[in-house]
Amino acid sequence: MSDWKELEAKSFYGASARERARGIVDEGTFTELAGPADRMSSPHLPVLGEAVEWDDGCVTGVGLIGKHPVFVISQEGRFIGGAVGEVHGAKMVGAFVLARQMYDRIKEEHPDELAERLPAVVISFETGGVRLHEANAGLLAHAEVMDQIQETKGKFPVISLIGSKVGCFGGMGFVAAATDVIVMSDLGRLGLTGPEVIEQEMGKDEFDSADRSLVYRTTGGKHKYIMRDANYLVEDTLGDFHDQLAAIMEAPYDEIVQCRRIGSEALVDEQLALAELSVEMAPKDARDVWAYFGNEDVEQIPEMTTAEFLAVAQRR
Amino acid sequence: MALRELNFTFTPDEPRPFPVGWSHRGVVGSGDMEVMFEQRDLGGDVQIKVCTPVVGFDEVWERVLDRFVRESQVSDAVIEINDNNATPVVVSMRMRQAMEEARKEAE
Amino acid sequence: MTTEPKIWNTLERDYRERIEAARPYVMDGKVVEAGDAVKLLEAVIRPGDKVNIEGDNQKQADFLAQCLCEVDTEKVHDLHMVQSVLSIPAHLDVFDKGIAKKVDFSFSGPQAGRLAEYVRDGKIELGAIHTYLELYGRYFVDLTPRVALCVGVSADRNGNIYTGFNTEDTAVIAEAVKFHQGIVIVQVNELVDEVPRVDIPGDWVDFVIQAPRPFYIEPLFTRDPALITDSQILRAMMVIKGIYGEYGIQRLNHGIGFDTAAIELLLPTYGEELGLKGKICSYFVTNPHPTLIPAIESGWVKTMYCFGGEAGMADYVQARPDVFFIGPDGTMRSNRDYAQTAGHYALDMFIGGTLQIDKYGNSSTATASRIAGFGGAPNMGCDAKGRRHATPGWMKCGEEYGMHDELVGDLPRGKRLVVQLQETFREKMAPGFVDKLDAVALAENAGLDLPPVMIYSDDLTHIVTEEGIAYLHKCTSMADRMAAIRAVAGFTEVGMAEDPAETAALRERGIFKTPADLGIDVRRANRDLLAAKSVKDLVNWSGGLYNPPAKFRNW
Repeated sequence: MSDWKELEAKSFYGASARERARGIVDEGTFTELAGPADRMSSPHLPVLGEAVEWDDGCVTGVGLIGKHPVFVISQEGRFIGGAVGEVHGAKMVGAFVLARQMYDRIKEEHPDELAERLPAVVISFETGGVRLHEANAGLLAHAEVMDQIQETKGKFPVISLIGSKVGCFGGMGFVAAATDVIVMSDLGRLGLTGPEVIEQEMGKDEFDSADRSLVYRTTGGKHKYIMRDANYLVEDTLGDFHDQLAAIMEAPYDEIVQCRRIGSEALVDEQLALAELSVEMAPKDARDVWAYFGNEDVEQIPEMTTAEFLAVAQRR
Repeated sequence: MALRELNFTFTPDEPRPFPVGWSHRGVVGSGDMEVMFEQRDLGGDVQIKVCTPVVGFDEVWERVLDRFVRESQVSDAVIEINDNNATPVVVSMRMRQAMEEARKEAE
Repeated sequence: MTTEPKIWNTLERDYRERIEAARPYVMDGKVVEAGDAVKLLEAVIRPGDKVNIEGDNQKQADFLAQCLCEVDTEKVHDLHMVQSVLSIPAHLDVFDKGIAKKVDFSFSGPQAGRLAEYVRDGKIELGAIHTYLELYGRYFVDLTPRVALCVGVSADRNGNIYTGFNTEDTAVIAEAVKFHQGIVIVQVNELVDEVPRVDIPGDWVDFVIQAPRPFYIEPLFTRDPALITDSQILRAMMVIKGIYGEYGIQRLNHGIGFDTAAIELLLPTYGEELGLKGKICSYFVTNPHPTLIPAIESGWVKTMYCFGGEAGMADYVQARPDVFFIGPDGTMRSNRDYAQTAGHYALDMFIGGTLQIDKYGNSSTATASRIAGFGGAPNMGCDAKGRRHATPGWMKCGEEYGMHDELVGDLPRGKRLVVQLQETFREKMAPGFVDKLDAVALAENAGLDLPPVMIYSDDLTHIVTEEGIAYLHKCTSMADRMAAIRAVAGFTEVGMAEDPAETAALRERGIFKTPADLGIDVRRANRDLLAAKSVKDLVNWSGGLYNPPAKFRNW
């Protein structure tokens, strides 16, 4: 098996940030920017006696999908849980800035081919949000990334990939929700307050964070797909995420942005109606919600393969 | 307590200069480390810098790295390590993997 | 001269009195309501009694343990607890409240720190720390409980108990107590008209109580393959090639831990590649480890006898009746007593991990501030001197035994392999090899008669670390052994005292082998070699029969 085939077959869940960055764009097209050799590590961690990483837990760079330049941001959960500090955040922002510059250049140099050369920003999330060691800088970074997402509106898509060990939680859960498209695997988890924090605040009876099955029912890819928080659910390989990205990028921009969860009055109404519904039905478990939206045999949903699930899933 | 920096220089008996411009390996997870090898003409020496939060194991680092240099005979390189409590076996494995990757790439 | 006639049935008279005192709480047959459980205990337990709360490293009579904490200390006090484990908080709460004052036990795991504190503060009078078999033995000699609080899955109104596949210690406790005129109380998850199988006959049981919650059970033997490290895989490769293959080990026990889980997951890949299927690992006496599923499914394992069950494995075990010991009712029965005996006499090898090994090769899981106890490991991890049957691995180890001629002369005798898997440093750089065991400091701190040593040097035959394998039994002197230990001890203080010339000589004699000496390519030591990389993979291997507990499901 060639190295590339091996990489594409690799589990997205188990892949490092760098492997994900390489594997989600076309073969051999990824170039890392501000990589380890540039040694852009955190200036704050050494004073606190905390280990540093030269990429600050965030792999950034550019690759191609077809003719589309894809600016990749890939977070590494093994380094401080993928938490966002100053440099990590700045690298995220940098990727957006480069994508916008690329968009402007293509618009100018290839006005007829804008659609097939349309750039994208792809974020492979693996994070719990703000890095507590540099909390102010981390919070600011969140705000800046939000700003950057706004700047892309009407120009090119921002796509979230969620399927890594740490999941996507905290402030970065908001950031993911604000992107145009979310792709998940059934191993991906998306939420705001992390399971441990809910348990700490509300007690074990409310939410037992050690009950991984419960955590997945509430935040996992299948639930998010039923709720339409995730637009696509794919198998857990780099190749499947790559293929899904390619399929998304084939669609016209106006169609891609139909996937959004926020950004219009109609969508706000929709979200508010959902909030009302949750008060009304007071579900005891995600399974109640699945049943409400017409899914049969909800006990079996967690056990299904992705393919089996996609064949029968009823979404809201 | 701030991060600590340890510096070592070794002189292998039968130096094998580092074959590529640079090579990087590893993630600074808990109990793990990353290592960067960079080609540099050091007249047959090899310099190693370790950045670590761990106190009290300077001699262990020296012995582990000395053995790596003896086994690989790597020379003319600056090696930097960002450590987060990696055990000697992890250090040896990561170093060996980065070295082999580089030698494979050079072939 | 007239003498009072000697009374020979004081125990029985005492028993009758107690049963009479309990009469108001008995509803139907032997059934007592959960709400009357505390009153029942107050009626049948007397101050100073020896009392057993059933529980081991897996299942717990947790409802009854909690009830014992709630008795009136005017009525019940100064008990002498005689039980396998001190594992849940209630096991120590009884000492806090003055209900109990003395303990004889085997294993304390999660309560080890608190136990050490109570012993130091004089809150607990410590009898002795035992191995499981040793304690079971004393149930029939000088530590017979007067009252046992046991646990089962279901009961009928006559007290017949079904234990499910977690029979474990129930049988040995109930037999010891009941045949010495004691009282047996059993908490069950449900009351039924007819139990699927009688594990404990009703006439051994005095009272049954349906607990408000199913009994607690710890999935102690479940290891998530996702957490296995490269260095564990390297050691597993060395074990399979340098020990299992080398000695043709067919009958063995695997302890708890990621190291043995790695071995199990390498059998269908690396083991198969070495052509060892059918030549090693055919008979296990161990718990039904989920990580053994791929090896079982690939046809490696002929039989497997179990100390206990394992949460989530019931359906799988039941569907493999040729491999596991399944009753006429179609479900497995386990028995810790028999498994320990089998482990002691019928196996060729024990392998497991430890916390510290000293420079002589003694090992312990004790630390200076925790009284962790032993469980069953010392019964497994020793050379059973009473063994008299020969198997190839046992014979080969005996032939290689360096002290054989000194101790036995020229008669052949086998030797059991006792193997310790050790990472030279654990996380946070805690050394796996030390000059002096923390157990020695613990013995001083807690006033123990002897340091709690899990496996003594004279029983230990092999140590495997990432540096290589030390074949300690081949050594002809303590000086040799110590040199071999230094060779595998890596960069710990013990290892740093290594003399390279001495190590080279040991390699010549085959007493120390590096991975290269064993023909193992260290580069291959990575997770790609694992037959299953996640809990989900194990479920898939089992054809959906393995039903992992919620805390192991990332789906």
